[in-house]
Amino acid sequence: MATRLDLVGRSGNSPRQAASWTRRQALLTNLRAVRGRAYPRYIGLFREKSWVFFEILLPFLSTSAFVFVYRALRAPEAYVGFVVVGGAMTAFWINVIWMMANQLYWEKSQGNLELYFAAPMHFMSILFGMALGGMVMSSTRALAILVISTAVFGVSFAVEQWLLVFLVFVMTLAALYGVGMVLASLFLVWGREAWHLGQLLVEPVYFVSGLNFPVARLGLLGALSVGFIPLATGLDAMRQLVFSGAPFPIGTPPPLVELGILVILAVVATAIARWMLAAMERRARVEGRLTVRWQ
Amino acid sequence: MTASGAVHPAAPSRREPEAPDGELARSFVTAARLGYLMEANWTDPLLFFIYSVAKPVAAALILVVMLQVVGGSATATYRSFVVIGTAFWALVQIGITGLAFAILDDRERYRMLKYVYVSPSDFLVVLLGRGTARLLIGVTGAVITMAIGIVALGVPFDPGRIDWLMLAVTAVGGLVVTLALGLLMGSICLQTRQESWSYPEAFAGALFLVSGAVFPLSILPAPIQAVGLANPLAWWIDGARRAFDAAAPSSIGGQGSLFTTLTGQVTPDNGLVLLSLIVTGAVVTLAAAAIFRYSSRRAKERGLLDRTTGS
Repeated sequence: MATRLDLVGRSGNSPRQAASWTRRQALLTNLRAVRGRAYPRYIGLFREKSWVFFEILLPFLSTSAFVFVYRALRAPEAYVGFVVVGGAMTAFWINVIWMMANQLYWEKSQGNLELYFAAPMHFMSILFGMALGGMVMSSTRALAILVISTAVFGVSFAVEQWLLVFLVFVMTLAALYGVGMVLASLFLVWGREAWHLGQLLVEPVYFVSGLNFPVARLGLLGALSVGFIPLATGLDAMRQLVFSGAPFPIGTPPPLVELGILVILAVVATAIARWMLAAMERRARVEGRLTVRWQ
Repeated sequence: MTASGAVHPAAPSRREPEAPDGELARSFVTAARLGYLMEANWTDPLLFFIYSVAKPVAAALILVVMLQVVGGSATATYRSFVVIGTAFWALVQIGITGLAFAILDDRERYRMLKYVYVSPSDFLVVLLGRGTARLLIGVTGAVITMAIGIVALGVPFDPGRIDWLMLAVTAVGGLVVTLALGLLMGSICLQTRQESWSYPEAFAGALFLVSGAVFPLSILPAPIQAVGLANPLAWWIDGARRAFDAAAPSSIGGQGSLFTTLTGQVTPDNGLVLLSLIVTGAVVTLAAAAIFRYSSRRAKERGLLDRTTGS
């Protein structure tokens, strides 16, 4: 028994002593939880091959449809590039909605949620693990969509600041998954509405984020989106950076400013997620919703 | 012997007094009501209404802004084209996915499919009822999208100029085809595992490209245009769109299209649209019914009705 306790980093001869963890023990356990929750996501990249096919096919089909719309209108070829970048980014937003925001509701339906709460780690570790695994999973999807669409539709990129592109991309993911963690804690108590809320957060968010057009075209609505929706901010910054010299409407901040906005959004979203998770967990416990399935 | 004697007289008396048609109708209505309740009983009607219309309206707005971005003379012409196409497509998408999701929901989540199957109701009728409930929710979304298109997005609306007969006939044909395609996807999902959740949307996404919903088929390569001409949804959407707005461009024909090359006509007339819808629709519907019967029998033989795969 003592050996088992040692293996998991606990010490002491009594349950009270064993329960008294050092900061290091708590940190290591939380990191193990992050790795454990991320594992099914990145291992899923190879396990369920049909998912790979469909998760690439679906965004590619919708991207193709919008490309054909621009082609039917004889729009400048730069717009086709905008659509392709937007299509690649949908992989992340879909992942945030269905595998972050909705995830806790599904975990509840499957009976896993109570196990998470009973396990000796901070619940934020679960959310971080989900986010980390989701980022890896979606990055491969996004890359595949980008490569296939670029090859099929002949998109040419003009990148001058690679480092800034990389930073914007990373911070877009951080902010997106921060929002995903906030939504996950909200969906914890919204129950059966979760699926419909997920639907509500797809096309309308695509619209206000300027998925297939420069978000500046939306005027005030576009400016608000850039300020508050990471998908809009990241997309706009990346389009400015990877299509240098393309006809771009004036009205949104330069990429460096948008990078700053993304950093703020990422920090604020993570802090809100932490606070909301505690608040929603408390409320769900009081109302007895943590273990009620399909409600 | 006594036991069998007690059972046998009761069995025929359960079905014979009522006409089968009445029983089928009752099953259908009950299934449709159940489908609606499963979709909507958790929320107040206003919230449910918002959820139902937000998706198609946002999809239409994306396309309208894309038209504005490009500008030029094509914008005004294509505005009603894309709004009407998006409204109809929302209906198609929910119809195709709805019926397949009903099977997956019942089998994987609620684990009730086996009980539905062994109930006295006809399995096909129950599924069609469930699918119809979702289709009606889609109709609401489509109607609201059209209303917003007319009020705010410049879609022309003159009741005197609408070809109501054509609109009604194509609508009936389109809804039947949509349910048939939903049944086809349901048949496939009956055979597959939990990843099937993606199949209906992927199928609808593929059909979207060859339906002329938001761009004319003529923009596609000729072999893919040929697939579009065999797709009843393309004929439905084109017929319904031009019944609503006679000035809207055809999604089937047009300069350089395969249709024009084959027939010599720039756009199909109403008679040809209806004939094509009926012929292609009948083929799809009969094929869907046959595949469903086969799939249902195979699922029973192989014990797939109560198989859950951890979704």
